[in-house]
Amino acid sequence: MEISWLQAALLGLFACLSSMPGLGGTTFGNYTLGRPLVAGMVVGAILGDLRTGIMVGAAMQLVYIALVTPGGTVSADVRAVSYIGIPLAMVALKAYGLDPAASDGVSLATGFGVLVGTVGTVLFYLTATMNLLWQGIGWNAIEKGNYKQIYRVNMLYPWVSHILCSFIPALIMCRLGAPAVDAIKMYLPMDGLAMKTIFTVGSLLPAVGVAILLKQICLKATDFIPFFFGFTLAASMGLNLVSATVIAAMFAFIKYEIKTAKLATKFAGGATDTDEEEDI
Amino acid sequence: MEKQLSKKTLNKSFWLWFYGNLTCFSQEHMQTFGYLSAMLPICEELYAGEPDKLARSMKTYTAFFNTEPQIGAIVVGVTAGLEQARANGEPVDDETINGLRAGLMGPLAGIGDSLIVGTVIPILLGIALGLASGGSIIGPLFYVVTWNLFALLGMRFIYFKGYQLGGKAVEILVGEKAQAIRESIQIVGAMVIGAVAASWINVSTAYKMLDANGEVIVDLNNSLNSVYPKLLTAVTVVICWWLMSKRKISPTKVMGILVVVAFVGVLIGFFNPGLQY
Repeated sequence: MEISWLQAALLGLFACLSSMPGLGGTTFGNYTLGRPLVAGMVVGAILGDLRTGIMVGAAMQLVYIALVTPGGTVSADVRAVSYIGIPLAMVALKAYGLDPAASDGVSLATGFGVLVGTVGTVLFYLTATMNLLWQGIGWNAIEKGNYKQIYRVNMLYPWVSHILCSFIPALIMCRLGAPAVDAIKMYLPMDGLAMKTIFTVGSLLPAVGVAILLKQICLKATDFIPFFFGFTLAASMGLNLVSATVIAAMFAFIKYEIKTAKLATKFAGGATDTDEEEDI
Repeated sequence: MEKQLSKKTLNKSFWLWFYGNLTCFSQEHMQTFGYLSAMLPICEELYAGEPDKLARSMKTYTAFFNTEPQIGAIVVGVTAGLEQARANGEPVDDETINGLRAGLMGPLAGIGDSLIVGTVIPILLGIALGLASGGSIIGPLFYVVTWNLFALLGMRFIYFKGYQLGGKAVEILVGEKAQAIRESIQIVGAMVIGAVAASWINVSTAYKMLDANGEVIVDLNNSLNSVYPKLLTAVTVVICWWLMSKRKISPTKVMGILVVVAFVGVLIGFFNPGLQY
């Protein structure tokens, strides 16, 4: 599977829009176009294989299901994961002749994507550093009272950072990635140690994505109960995700009712207290 | 005459924040320029023909700002209201505004990161993953529509509440009722993530104990699954959690550890993806 210059350029454009700090904005850029599941759909449409794109995106989404960037520290870069990793993973799947629906296909895609995403972190730091240039222009303009310049500093000049740090890397890596993947295939046969390791890593990595999320919501042992309740619903009882969500919503509803009932008694109690004091 | 910000200006300010909160991000100033550009239409309308006051007010917002930008829309709304009060001669100074901004940044970042990025997005993505099985386009489309509607309407709501109610608006997000809602949504988050982990992660071992004739005595993967289905997957997730939250190892390093574990596991035959052409 080849990626043409035009296709690679389109992928580069989406890389500019989707990154953190992207030019599609936080909500629609980073948190929509940058999510691997959505990116899978976009990349699939660009490369002419929607189904494979979405399946690769879904596999990779799991690793980054809770990609939080507290205070601007990142552990992976979405533009690299989504618009370099996903297209190259699709190329690799085609090169090795694997089905994206099978578990080995999923593992290969995940392994490839995460590798690229981790390497891509450097793009984030380059973009953020380069933006300091534009901000320098901005501080000068504010000194002089030329406020209109703020709009250009905030929304126009960062395009230069992105052409250098998002567009060009995605363009080149996607265009030259396909021959590279073919070369890798020549030297690394699928039953060799290296490929077996890549596949195994691919099957283990989503656990990190889920664990990043658990780190935020599970502070003590009992916090794991809802997690394992959901896990059991799917693993042992075979419920799909929509059904599991409905059941979860019911529990959340009960919890909310109990909480608000407690609040109501607290306020009611408070009111009686003051009444008594007034009586005295 | 009382100065009153027009609906048009407030809308412009909201959209500038909605789109531009992080477009010119740097490690040094983070969201400061996004904030400046969202406040510019506000200040320009309030101080038309008063360049001194315009300069004074714009200078206020050159102070550093960074929070979870989506929930942070409420702070921009609150300062729009405060700036209007200042233009009408009320005792609002730089310290009032920047004290409030600095005081809200931390708590709102905490709520935003855990509630929006850590709960709402994973829930929506979890459902979308379920709908995307088999490569169906309904999954990604579901996420694009629900997430953007939720974020856009939510941000608009808190921006304008912030403008109308001022500092009190923050109660909507941090009050007791809000806390009850947050804790309830977090239950959904934890359960959906559990179901996502069980549906999509597949850690299995190829280890089999053989007797002298080459017959399988113990198929470890089957034995483990008969104790608790997908036990190995659950254990892997908990180990990763333990490494990150109890041993304080960064996610990137945990990924590195997994590469080593996978390599050794493949060498000794514990892991074998069973690949062939």
